[in-house]
Amino acid sequence: MSARLTSLPRLIARRLRALLRRQVLDREMDEEMRHHLELEAADLVRTHGLTSDEARRRAMIAFGGLTRHAEAHRDARGIGGLEHLVRDLRHAGRGLRRSPGFTVSAVLVLALGIGATTAVFSAVNAVLRNPAHDDIAVLFFRGFPSLSAVDYLAIAEQQRTFSAVGAMRRGEAAFRAGGEPERVRVGRVSSGFFHVIGVRPVAGRLLEPGDDLPGADRVAVVSHALANRALGGAVAAVGRSVMVDGVAHTVIGVLPEPADALLADRADVWPALQLEPPTRRGPFGILVVGRLAPGATFESATRDVAGISERIFPLWAPAWSDRSARFEALPIRSAALGEEARMLRLFGLAVALVLLIGVANVASLMLVRAIGRAREVSLRSVLGASRWQLVRLFAAESALLSLIGAAAGVGASALGLRALIAFGPRMPGLTASSLDLRAVTLAVVLALAASLIVGSAPVAMLLRHGTTALSSGERAIGGGRGARWARSGFVVAQFALALPLLAVAGLLLTSFARLQRVDPGFDPANLLTVRVSLPAGQYADDAPIAAYWSRAIARLRDLPGVREVGLASSLPPDDFGTSNDNFNLIDRPASPGMPEPNAPWPSASGDYFAALGVPLLEGRMFTHNDTGPRPVILVSRAWARRYYPGESPLGKTMVRGGCTDCEPTTVIGVVDDVRYSGLAGSLEAMYSPLAEQWSRTLHMYVRTAGAPNRLVEPVREALRSVDPSVPLDEVASMEERMYTAVAEPRQWAALLTTFAVAALGLAAVGVFGMLSYLVGIRRREIGVRMALGARRATVVRMVLRSGVAHAIAGSAIGLAAALLGTRMVAPVLHEVGPGDPATLGLATAVLLGVALVACWLPARRAARIAPMEAIRLD
Amino acid sequence: MAPRTDLLQGTLDLLILKTLVLGALHGWGISKRLRQLSGDVLEIGQGSLYPALYRLEDRGWVTAEWRTSDEGRRAKFYSLTAVGRRRLAVERAQWRRFSAAVDDVLEAT
Repeated sequence: MSARLTSLPRLIARRLRALLRRQVLDREMDEEMRHHLELEAADLVRTHGLTSDEARRRAMIAFGGLTRHAEAHRDARGIGGLEHLVRDLRHAGRGLRRSPGFTVSAVLVLALGIGATTAVFSAVNAVLRNPAHDDIAVLFFRGFPSLSAVDYLAIAEQQRTFSAVGAMRRGEAAFRAGGEPERVRVGRVSSGFFHVIGVRPVAGRLLEPGDDLPGADRVAVVSHALANRALGGAVAAVGRSVMVDGVAHTVIGVLPEPADALLADRADVWPALQLEPPTRRGPFGILVVGRLAPGATFESATRDVAGISERIFPLWAPAWSDRSARFEALPIRSAALGEEARMLRLFGLAVALVLLIGVANVASLMLVRAIGRAREVSLRSVLGASRWQLVRLFAAESALLSLIGAAAGVGASALGLRALIAFGPRMPGLTASSLDLRAVTLAVVLALAASLIVGSAPVAMLLRHGTTALSSGERAIGGGRGARWARSGFVVAQFALALPLLAVAGLLLTSFARLQRVDPGFDPANLLTVRVSLPAGQYADDAPIAAYWSRAIARLRDLPGVREVGLASSLPPDDFGTSNDNFNLIDRPASPGMPEPNAPWPSASGDYFAALGVPLLEGRMFTHNDTGPRPVILVSRAWARRYYPGESPLGKTMVRGGCTDCEPTTVIGVVDDVRYSGLAGSLEAMYSPLAEQWSRTLHMYVRTAGAPNRLVEPVREALRSVDPSVPLDEVASMEERMYTAVAEPRQWAALLTTFAVAALGLAAVGVFGMLSYLVGIRRREIGVRMALGARRATVVRMVLRSGVAHAIAGSAIGLAAALLGTRMVAPVLHEVGPGDPATLGLATAVLLGVALVACWLPARRAARIAPMEAIRLD
Repeated sequence: MAPRTDLLQGTLDLLILKTLVLGALHGWGISKRLRQLSGDVLEIGQGSLYPALYRLEDRGWVTAEWRTSDEGRRAKFYSLTAVGRRRLAVERAQWRRFSAAVDDVLEAT
């Protein structure tokens, strides 16, 4: 015992030497063993009188496998595990270098799979799970997060379940800090808003109670970006006076950078929202948020605010006392992203499917490769490698492969996330997202585990079937039954996973194509639009506002090449502004307890319809005399058909917005349909004449004679000459707008199509690899068949059949999965059902078609085998 | 040739140490000496010999050095160290106790 203890330092020195001077020691060992063999042989010659060759042979036999002894010797010398690992990895590296095609494709597939999956999951996590937002509720009324001033004031006063309540009204405004006026996004907020969100200023202070009382000094908080861009930095910005819509505001604080994207709204200026005591129930458009008090839940908060709605609504109008008119408190997460959260999850699922296909693909590649190396395995085992050593060797190869793939994948995911932030859909929290460590770890562990299992399993299977492969030649190389099943399973799985992806991509593409063919109700060619927003300071009441608009129209109409100019508060095809309102028909009122109907309700000039090219179908157009005392409206054809089917709506009257003491509104005409609620939305619309109520923010429509782009600058110049202090939005052609209106469906369809194509490619490579390999090992058999008279067509059919059988089995499973999975996208599909037989059929046909091509190539190779050559091969 | 007997686990170290008592030997010399001493009954598999030698060297019971052999060829010679000699005594005593005990069991009626 003591001997061992005292020798410890020496022992360590020896082990180190063993590790560092490996080659010298190996050479010495080699020499020593050779010496042994020579002496043994010489001895045999002396004692038994053998020839030297025979003696040498006997000595070799007595000695046993040189390699095995060398290994045992090294084991004894042992830094054991570590040295083995290093050696196994080096060996694996050599093995991988020998087949660069396999290595590169496997690494690529793994890297892309891991990279894409972790990038997307990181993004999804950042958007869907911001723990700081867990306790924030958004208040809903009739399914919209849009309340009125009355509602907010009542909730702020009466609620008992929130620790803070805040209100925000989004909008845009002219902003001026000395230089040129610019349009900025504005979030007018109450003093509690930032407390609810929980941000701290990087400079100055945020809003405090009192700032939002009517008559208080006008103050505003600005974004970090705006402070840097226009106010000389965060610190310099505090105390500056800036003009917001012509009203002077003092900047009191600057928000931190990540907060810029608060609530999906990248507002630059956050002035205090000063709410006057309300005189009526509307208008709506205020976002009310609350932070749950300790112990409160979204359910208890909903009960609390629903109670408030029951108390306050009877005060305003009987129109608001129906059953659906209740406040609800919903988590901000679901409120901020309805549709997008669903699409994001779908996106994540699609990426995960691609990763799975990738892993199955690499697995089948490894399996094929390992089975193809049966001869090598047998040889090694005959030369004295133990089973454990063989398994370790193959496992090391797979481990090395997946490690390289994983490393490349992590790199790829960092890039992918950056790309997603840059080009992906705009969502709150996305810009602030960083690689999610758990996602990276999970993906890497998954890839490692999968490749380790599939990398070493075939060797174990081969070993069970023993070393007979060497003697019995290639016939045994197909692997045992287990290996065959595994191989088939991986190929089938790839097809089964690829089909749902193809189906979803197909559905989104179909939906997108139908969306593009939708008639918006007007001709977007040769039409320019520009939004003009008059600063509230100079344009306080109707007279100057009306004067500006008529001057602007006159100026534009004088431009050469301009045919018509119109004005409206809405912008088709997907923007009806905030002008959705409810109404109650006098001759057929809403039943008690039921909500009143509502529809997009823009204000427009009579010229608007001319500029857009929307014909008047019935009745009369607006005139200059429609100024208000007796309100009139035009309705769309779809509206007329819905509310007055089979009769004329002319002369019908209604009460607008739940107003009980207003003059009823009369229908004076019917115009053709225009889409305002998106291309997939409804066609019902009602128009009020602008002259009844002028608006500071309107869209101007300019119908041109020729190409509209040549008129962009002249239009801009003309408007500037009317009043240079009015900031102008971009003058854009309607065709561009139509393009951006389908930008999001286009983006999703494009993303999923990319994934589907990747999945298709992987599945094709999978079946191609398997068949190529099978043809390779069956060369002899095929040769014999052909020598015995089998025709080439028969051979092709034989090979095709085995490949296509896999594809069909996989597609059948995939079709079943697709029928369930496509329901996820049903809500975003336009005019195509989730189980659309044409699309699913086409997806299946594409998959099988690609499979057929992938199978046909190896089949053709099989048919070209020259019988004699193949038989002679052995 | 007499039938050879597999070495009992644990006795290999003892036997190698014993063959080295008279002087330094190379690997083959050790196996040859052992065969002679045991009347061709005991045979060290070469697969066991060299790892064992290395292990003994590791423990400091033998040392190795490269010398020129009688045949004029470079060879690695192993010799006992002082620790190795003491160890041999210990192992020998243990073996005697062990074999006596086995004998007692076998002779018992």
